[in-house]
Formats: sequence, C-alpha cells, structure tokens
Amino acid sequence: MEYIKKDLGSYNLHIIKTDKFKSVVVQVSFRSPIVKEEITMRNVLSDLLLISSKKYKTKREIALKSQELYASSVMDEDIRFGNYINTNFYLNCLNDKYTEEGNLEEAITFLSELIFSPNVENNQFDKASLEIVKRQATVALESIKEDPANYSLIRMLETMDPSSPLSYRPMGYLEDLEKIDESNLYVYYKNMLKTNLMDIFVIGDVDASKIEEIITEKFQSNTYKKTRKPYYLDEVKVRSKRQIIKEKENLTQAKLSIGCRINDLTEEERAYALTLYSIILGSGGDSKFFKNIREKHSLAYYIYSTPNKLDHLLIIRAGITKENLKKVVKLIDNEMQDMKKGNFTEEDISKAKELFQTSLDELEESPSRLINAYYMMELLGIDPIEVRRKKMDAVSKEEIISVAKKIKIDTIYCLEGE
Amino acid sequence: MEKIEFEGLGIHLYEETLENGFTLYMIPLPEKKNYTMVYATRYGSDIIEFAKDRKNMKKYPTGIAHFLEHKMFEQEEGEDPFTFYGKSGTDANAATDHDYTKYICTGTKNFKENFRFLLQYVNTPYFTDENVEKEKGIIEEELNMYLDIPEFVLENKIKENTYQKHPRRIDVGGTVEDIKKITKEDLYDCYHTFYQPNNMFALVVGNFDVEEAIQVVHEEMKDRKNCDNKKPLIKEYQEPLEVTVKEETLTMDIRVPKVLFAVKFSKKSFPIKDHQLLNIYLQLITTILFGSSSIFREEARQNGLMSGMYYDWEEVENMITLTFHIDTKKPNEVLKELKRVLLNIDISVDDVERYKKVWIANEVRLSDYVEAMNNNVFSDIILYGKPIVNRIPLIRKLNKKELDKVLQHFEVENTTEMIALPKENN
Repeated sequence: MEYIKKDLGSYNLHIIKTDKFKSVVVQVSFRSPIVKEEITMRNVLSDLLLISSKKYKTKREIALKSQELYASSVMDEDIRFGNYINTNFYLNCLNDKYTEEGNLEEAITFLSELIFSPNVENNQFDKASLEIVKRQATVALESIKEDPANYSLIRMLETMDPSSPLSYRPMGYLEDLEKIDESNLYVYYKNMLKTNLMDIFVIGDVDASKIEEIITEKFQSNTYKKTRKPYYLDEVKVRSKRQIIKEKENLTQAKLSIGCRINDLTEEERAYALTLYSIILGSGGDSKFFKNIREKHSLAYYIYSTPNKLDHLLIIRAGITKENLKKVVKLIDNEMQDMKKGNFTEEDISKAKELFQTSLDELEESPSRLINAYYMMELLGIDPIEVRRKKMDAVSKEEIISVAKKIKIDTIYCLEGE
Repeated sequence: MEKIEFEGLGIHLYEETLENGFTLYMIPLPEKKNYTMVYATRYGSDIIEFAKDRKNMKKYPTGIAHFLEHKMFEQEEGEDPFTFYGKSGTDANAATDHDYTKYICTGTKNFKENFRFLLQYVNTPYFTDENVEKEKGIIEEELNMYLDIPEFVLENKIKENTYQKHPRRIDVGGTVEDIKKITKEDLYDCYHTFYQPNNMFALVVGNFDVEEAIQVVHEEMKDRKNCDNKKPLIKEYQEPLEVTVKEETLTMDIRVPKVLFAVKFSKKSFPIKDHQLLNIYLQLITTILFGSSSIFREEARQNGLMSGMYYDWEEVENMITLTFHIDTKKPNEVLKELKRVLLNIDISVDDVERYKKVWIANEVRLSDYVEAMNNNVFSDIILYGKPIVNRIPLIRKLNKKELDKVLQHFEVENTTEMIALPKENN
C-alpha cells in the first residue's frame, strides 16, 4: 500500500494505492463549523444533489447512468465531527480491469457532474426535485421515535448539554425543514463550495498520475479556504450531582442511555488507553458489562459502552425492564468503580489489545474504512496504523486506571413505557 | 477433496465431505488478512414439531432453536467461547433464522485453534436447570427489544396473514410465553436430533490454509456419529396457496402509515424447473419493476406516493412469496398502483440486458469482501444445498424469451394487504 498526498491548491488529493481491491472508491468530503440551524439544510442539499443534476434530471436517470457504468454507486452522508459538519460523497466503481478502459474516468466525471453541475435555473434548484427530498426528510424526521433506542440516545444528549453541538440531531429538525426553498438552498450550496474545506480520496489499484490528472480536470475549485476552529469540542466539567431523567413513550422495553464526561485526558490517553478502557468495560462478548450484567444477572440482552473522543464522552446503552433501572445503574457504577480500583487483569488488557489489533487488520480490508482512517490522520493528526499498533501494545494497566479516574457519569436517561 | 472454480471470479471452492455426511466448504482468499468461519445446522425456527424416534410426533415451544443457539455458548468445563476468542481478538457470534442456526467466528489470527474451538464448543452441549432458567431473562429482553420496532412487528403480522399453517408465521424468537416453558430436556431433544454431522456443515472464507482446515475437521468431526442413520421425521404442513387474511387495517404507534403487501406463488406453477434459475428470473422481474431505476419508483417519487419501499422473496415448502414494505401517506393509492404494475408487466430486452451487466459487476465487487462472500455462499447452501459456482455464466444466459415464459405464469392472485395507520392521538 502506498499513500500519496497532493496539494491541489484549494483542496488535497489523497491517493491510497493498493492492489487489494477489485473496486475503486472515491470520497469527496466537504466540512465546515457546524451551525445547528443549518444541519437540516445540509442533509437536504446532499440528498438533492444525488437525485437530480443538470445532465441527469431525475433519480431514475442517475440510477440508469450508474448501471451503465457497471453498477457504479454514488452515495452521500452527513456526519458531525466534533465542532464540524462533514458531508461525504462516495463513488464505488469496479476497476477498469473488470469493466472496460475509461470506465473509471467516466464514473469520476459522473460524480463531479452530480456535485458541481446541479439542476439549477435562475439561481434556484429544481423545485420538483427539492419537494421530493423534503417529503422524504419530513417522513424521516416525523418517524424518529420508531427507533426508540436511537431516540433515547438523542434525548439523553439533549438533556445532558442542550447548547453544545453534541446535542444536535444529526438528521436536523422539522421546523428548519419548512424554511428551506429553492433559492436559499442554492445560496447555501454556493457558500458551501466557496467556504468549506474539501478533501478528495481515491483508493484502489490506480495509476496515481492519471488520477491526479482526472481529478484536477474534473474537480475545479479555486477559492482559498481556511478555518481555525478546532475539531474537538471544548471540555466541560461533569455536573456536581448526576441527573436522572425518565421520559415516557409507548414501549415494551426501557431504553437506557448514559452519558459520561471525560476530562483532562492526555492526547496519548485519548488515543490508546481510553480505547482499551472501553473494550474492557463494555465492548463485546468478553466485557465486564456483558459478563456481569447480561450473563450473570440476566438484566439485559444488549449493554455496551462506546467512547466518543471528539466530544469527550463515553456513552453507555442498554435495553432493560424499567423496574430494574436502579439495579442496572448500580451494577454499571460497580463496574466503573472496579476499573478505577484496577480490578481487572493483565489478561483482560492483553485481550483488549488483541481485539484492537484485529480491528486494525479488518480496517485494512475495507476501502471505505481505510479512507476514513487516512481522513482522521489528516484532520486530527492521529497516528498512522503501524504506529498505532506499536503504541497500543505499550499501554500499561496504570494508564488505563488513570483514564478510569477521569470518566464520570453525568446524565442517566431512560425512555420507558407508560 | 474437490476443487471447483467460481466462474469469472478467479476464486476457488474446495469441498471435503466425510463419511458421516458432514461437509466442509472452503474459499481461500490469501490476499486478505481476515477470515469468517461458520459452523451451521439446517435447523431453525421452522422446525417445532418432530418425532425424534421417527414415531411419536412432539410439539416443542416456539423459539426453541433460537434458545438453543443462546445456550450453546455455555460450557461445562474450560473456557466459554467469548473468553477463548477474546484472547486472540476474535469475534464470536451466532444467528438463528427460519431454516438454519449458525455459529460464526471472524478474526485475523489463530485460525487453526479458533476453528477447532468452534467445532468443539458447538459439539458439546451443557444444559442445566439453572443455566436454562437464567437465559430466559436475557431472551425476554431480546424479544422485547424487537417488539418496540414497528417495522418488525408488522413483518410478523404480514407473515401471520400470509401463511395459514406453516411455522413461518411465527417469529424466529418465539413468544415470551413459550420460551418460559422451555426445559433442558427439550433442548437436549432438539440438539441430539438436529446437531448431527449429516445435518451440519462448515464454511470458511478468507485467509487460512486449506490443509489445516481439513485436518481440524478430520480430527474433530470424523468420529462423530449420526445418532440414527435415518433423518428425523419432521412435521410437514402442506401450506395452501391461499392466504390466511386477505385484508387488514390496524392502528399503531407510528407517525407515517405503512403498507405491506404479499403475493404467494406456487413454485410448481412456473415452467422453469431449475430452482436457482427460477429464483433469478423472479428477482429479475422485481428488480426491473421496482428497483432503483424502475419507472414505478420514479413516478412514486414525483407524485409523493411513498417515502420508502423495500421488498423480498422467501420460500416456504412449495410456495414462494413476494412481500413489499412501504412507508406512505397515501396507502390506498400505493396499493392500487402496485397492483396495476404487477398486473400489467412490461419488460423490454434492454431492461434484461442492462441488469445482466449490473448483476455480473455486483458479483465481482462482492468478492472483495470476505463476510459478504461468506453470507452469499451460506445462503446458497441453505437454499440450494450447495454453493453456486456458475452464477456469472447463468446470468449471462438470461434472456427475454425465457423471462416471458415465467411471466406467463406470474399470477398475482393470492395476495394479502395490510395498512397500518397512526393512532389518532399522535
């Protein structure tokens, strides 16, 4: 595998050359500091660009073109990275070896047409296409409670820190959706192209200089962009007394979401010991949560923890019987207490390290995850994969205990039946 | 050992069958770092009534295959699977469906030991009154989790309305009431009847050594006997072509109405007798009519007819059923339009040729992913009894003439429709 980074003026082109895959994946990323009121617009925009363009007026025409390019696929995704909102456009296309000469170039051209040549007249997006996207967004936003576990997480974050970006709903808000029209969305789109930071990634068995040539021609952007806003949210102290919030819905099972604040980690602790901490505490079939709360006490089918490093959070989620809430929280407290006291073995640590190494091995087998790894290296200065392997192996028990002492429960949220 | 090429992919399938009927399927992908191994039995939630002695039929509680899957992780001595696999950073999991139960292990290291352990732990059941009792709380939470997802509840309901007799009408997990009745004796009955070499197989895909895999299987499986050389007697249902309920409207805790529509076909009514080829043609029809580039979808988008739709095919005995799941604010109009399209099928030669190209490209792309490859070959084994190595040449041979023969018998008569509306107070 060979990594090449090219500064093309207003954006960077990253080429990851590898003969591992039969496909070539292209990712075009735009990012800017997040504004709550613009999240909905961002989602609508990225969806709209992939259902109608100047050349391909309808989603059907776009689908037919994708099929003609040997089932190439295009996708969009909007995600928050700490203080930023990030939009990815993906193209997944078979290598020319398995199709025909020139197919990849045509597919990249297709992607660039979708992003840069939208269906616009008189500075307005096509009204009918926008209506389609808005209708779909309305339904998605209205049905948000149909995934109660996810809704519980959203509500937990909102009650934990309503003013912080960590509480922003990733899909946006109905009241903002109503305000979007063909004109203001176009203004937002032009502004995105002008002000957003942009990166392009290409992974596959490609000729790097040829790719550079195609991208330079098809992705022309001449503005100079810079922002100083950090990616990480500011750290917030844990509240002095933890808050416990219960809300009612028509549910059979209570969905528990717990937000823990993480404070004062060193960069190394965040990159390494925190990952091991969460694996030992609550990720997977060999964790303390699984062994004790599920297997020993039969209190849950799923219970797990995940760190959210950009937001300085550890999130714990479980599906439980509502009458058992106190019991489950007490057991979670005990397990977290045990982590602080160092009540875990060297074997637990070495198993967590093995799991981490396996996840890196698996990452190297997925084109999109590899791109994401390089993207995070670019954005956050995270160590390269081989360095990560070495540094993780060197983490000691004391470092995990030190991390454990810096994690505290802030908000316990339970979405339960009436 | 047999070695067969997946035509058009440059990948090989190796097959080793033991005298006791157990088969090991292997697809080595040496350029990958990871592997996925599966040890499976052709026993799932569809089997709830059988005679282990081939004489006396006994009915077991629903959800028992899934319960058994949970309990296989229990070990009498030594390490439990999660602890063992944890040491090499390997992920262990399992899944039960209507027609199989599988034990899965994905990792990048320790192939030989991990494979051996997979066979060993599934080969050694250990059920006690206490450990069976303890599992009931966990499974109850699992079932409750699904009950809170409207889509899941409706899927079970449409199956009840589609099938009159066959256990396909019951959820894989069973009911909370039934799982509470399960005893360790029930579990041993099911285990000894269906976890036998001639009813099981293993499938390994990814980075591993073929000789090593064969050696492990010889050591662990060769001496295992089928407790009876005859196959167990399993209840047959003779599921009729008619549906249980033709129409139903109900209210639920949802915001946007949902429509479910199912069509039941008899496989025998189609002129193509090759099971796999028939399925490919049926899928071709629905992909052209309802896939991403279909006119139906485009018109539905333009007219605000629906906001989301998916469909699937499933087989039960001699039936094959097509089911649609749609989110819509105009349920009656969607149903009308859906039926109109199904009753006036118009497919061109261009449509067929376009999808041939798309499907071949997808086959090639899929072979980049170890897990996807494993899943696909696995469902071939369950559905067709063996991996399908000639899918690409089969797709190449698809043609409009043969498609038309299938279409002549594509009779949309035995249908069931369901409209779920939001409760008024929402």
